[in-house]
Amino acid sequence: MTLVESPAMPRAQSLLTPLAAAALIMLVGLPVLFILLQAIFPDFARGSFEGAFSKLVVLTENDRLMTQARNTLLLAFSVLIGCLIFGLPIGILRGLFSVPGARVWDVVFLIPFLIPPFIAAIAWMMTLQPRGYLFQLVGFDMGRFLFSFTGVAFVMTLNLFPLVYFAVSRALEMVGGRFAAAARVHGARPLQAFFVITLPLSIPAIAASLLIVFAMSIEELGTPTALASRTGFEVLVTGIYTRLSDWPIDLSGAALGSVMLMAMVLAAFTLQNWIATRRSYISQTGKPADLEKADLGRWRWPVLGLFALVALIGVIIPLAAIAVTSLMSTISGGLRWSNFDLRHYEPIFRTGSRAWQALITSGWLAVLTAFATAAIGGLVAYIVVRGTGRGRAVMDGLSVLPNAIPAIVLAVGIILFWNSPYQPLSLYGTAAILLIAYIGILLPYPIRYAVARLRQISGSLDDAARVAGAGQMQALRHVTLPLMAPSLIAAMMLVFAIASRELVASIMLAPAGMRTVGTFVFAQFEQGSVQTGMAMSMVAITITSGILLAVNLWLARQGSSAFSG
Amino acid sequence: MLRITAFAASMGLMGTVAHADTLTFYTAGPGGLADALAEAFQAETGITVNVFQGTTGQVMARLEAEEANPQADVVVSASWGSAVDLHERGLLMEYLSPNAETVPDFLKHSHYVAQGISALAIAWNTQSDTPRPAEWTDLASEGYRDLVTMPDPAQSGSAFDLIAGLETAMGDTAWELLGALADNGMIVPGPNAAALNPVLQGAAAAVFGAVDYIAYSRAAAGESVEVIVPESGTVIAPRPMFILEATSNADAAKAFVDFVLSEAGQALVAETWMMPARTDVEGLRPGITDLNVIAVDEDAVLARRDEIIARFNETVTNR
Repeated sequence: MTLVESPAMPRAQSLLTPLAAAALIMLVGLPVLFILLQAIFPDFARGSFEGAFSKLVVLTENDRLMTQARNTLLLAFSVLIGCLIFGLPIGILRGLFSVPGARVWDVVFLIPFLIPPFIAAIAWMMTLQPRGYLFQLVGFDMGRFLFSFTGVAFVMTLNLFPLVYFAVSRALEMVGGRFAAAARVHGARPLQAFFVITLPLSIPAIAASLLIVFAMSIEELGTPTALASRTGFEVLVTGIYTRLSDWPIDLSGAALGSVMLMAMVLAAFTLQNWIATRRSYISQTGKPADLEKADLGRWRWPVLGLFALVALIGVIIPLAAIAVTSLMSTISGGLRWSNFDLRHYEPIFRTGSRAWQALITSGWLAVLTAFATAAIGGLVAYIVVRGTGRGRAVMDGLSVLPNAIPAIVLAVGIILFWNSPYQPLSLYGTAAILLIAYIGILLPYPIRYAVARLRQISGSLDDAARVAGAGQMQALRHVTLPLMAPSLIAAMMLVFAIASRELVASIMLAPAGMRTVGTFVFAQFEQGSVQTGMAMSMVAITITSGILLAVNLWLARQGSSAFSG
Repeated sequence: MLRITAFAASMGLMGTVAHADTLTFYTAGPGGLADALAEAFQAETGITVNVFQGTTGQVMARLEAEEANPQADVVVSASWGSAVDLHERGLLMEYLSPNAETVPDFLKHSHYVAQGISALAIAWNTQSDTPRPAEWTDLASEGYRDLVTMPDPAQSGSAFDLIAGLETAMGDTAWELLGALADNGMIVPGPNAAALNPVLQGAAAAVFGAVDYIAYSRAAAGESVEVIVPESGTVIAPRPMFILEATSNADAAKAFVDFVLSEAGQALVAETWMMPARTDVEGLRPGITDLNVIAVDEDAVLARRDEIIARFNETVTNR
């Protein structure tokens, strides 16, 4: 973000808005436009505008597509409910009470984002399927549960519930006990105060996280392909992927399918926006707040037990399955001591190996993506909430689009746009194109988090700063930005975690010769050894969670000065 | 400063602007082979080869999306039909390498040539407490109830070829066999790797239509899996290699194709447990002449693709 400190600048917004709009249009708008053109003109990739709408007929006659659409919605709602069951209770507890080891739990619940979804699905498969690890340990298997609709929803829930946990805990932290305390003074019982005051004030954040869960579950590819294909349960995104990955390739069909997905997410976005803006959720008015969280007292151990249970199912079991697999000399050797060795780690730690290069590449891409998305996302959020321009609602909609499009389709849009013969900037075929794709795909996180946060911060804080003589930029920098920081940092950590293992766009866009962690692991699984793939996942998860833990500890040491509500 | 150097090193791989001494190579698996070929070629000629490796579908999707402004010079796919199709659309450059002399006639064409060949087989877990299968039909028997997997023909070109081949050899009996397998609880979990992995862990006992070189290499890594090629016959999946017409670097591309078909290049292919395309290079496993190969009319089958997949779904997946 370019923060020019110039009190002389008349209206900073008149400069910031076009800047943010240009960024969104380049990153998201034009690739999507090119996909739409491809959907309408089947030969668009060949530079021809012939045969317009010829594919639409084929599609409308396809009732398989309608089944897929219905399955997609059914699955997304099941995952939503699952995420509320897993994420909401611990999110509320983390936000309102001083849970022992809170920062460690935060890192623990980031781990599901570090595990590539298809690796997590394979880990669950190897654990629960007949003769899997569970059977080898205790003599029974849960294959029937796993290879079913419930099983798919279960595994996807475990990938996504932390979104709810983080959004809810951050929002409640901000609403704090102060409003509830006021309600208590007025005679409300604790539970009453929670349901009447605290929870409603957190609705924008909860709705925002649910929107992301919804969008991510309808575009999630790894889990349905790994698990659902066995049950003949098809969703839209598997249909799109099939059109893009099976010979013969059907770009237009895939583009049309993704238009349906976009429509679904835009509908959800409209609903969420309506919930979030129909009334005021301002809870940060600048009055000194008591930041002390309530003590858990005798509930300390039951609460810790609940956190541990969620961590066991959501983090420890899949992680253990990955670790165990990576250590097995052969899969068919089973869980025997003599079958464990480190030979699958050896190719990774050879200095200068391709695995090593992949780790470095992914690391830098993830860091740059985190900073870039936070900067652009914070700016867009600021304009969407505080702006006055007419285009701000459009801009908000534009920012949610990448979540609506499966990453593989956005990747195709990026190829179509950036590799078009008319494109003057020849970024395609360089690492920069991967960065552009990552930013476009992950931008919704900081935007949604920051928008939700800004809706809780009163504009009168800005006004007070202005009255006191600060320029708009100064007010933004010294008042609003520090208040937004916690949610932006949470979003950055999320972006870093997801970018460090991004797969689909990497496969489509990484220039020849460049590898990322995701493509390395995937190639191992497809063609090499499952164990080496799992070993690489372990190494990447360990490094990434170590970095996140360090950042979290550093933030804790900074105390509440700048980074807590 | 050190970090910046590391960063530059990782980003340094990004320069793929068409250069006289670089070549862009898109290829389907196996993983190590492309890198090994690229390194050996660079050692010999000094030409850097930038490799993109994915599944055949990913390679083709990328070629398709880049069609307005192609990036690749040389491509290897795992589906012979894809080369036929690209050639019909006029996207391939004519080149027949002098090193292709000992490649059998049905594996070369004026515009594309086989890099290596895989065959389809039964991959059987030797510790599964099931009798050793010898024929495709064995897997429909009671002893393998709920214990057989098969790659999805919609996602695996070779599994599709197997169905087409069995239909050619057996007629409608092939569909009766698939129906019997489905009645016996055969599962279709996805592409090739997804079908093999349950067999390694023991969740299933055998793959109906495993890609043989993947199973051979797993067996070589110590997994208790055996590759069984039915005597009644199987199909082969040659992997076409071709140069794109749009290449800006035809000489280097030709040199690369020559190298892959040289004795050294074919030896690298053989190391992946595939059959080398050249008959005078020894493979690590039985070669084409040891197999009873069912000849499939590619063009006729390709035209019936949708019909065959629909019938498969009807018979097996959505029973």
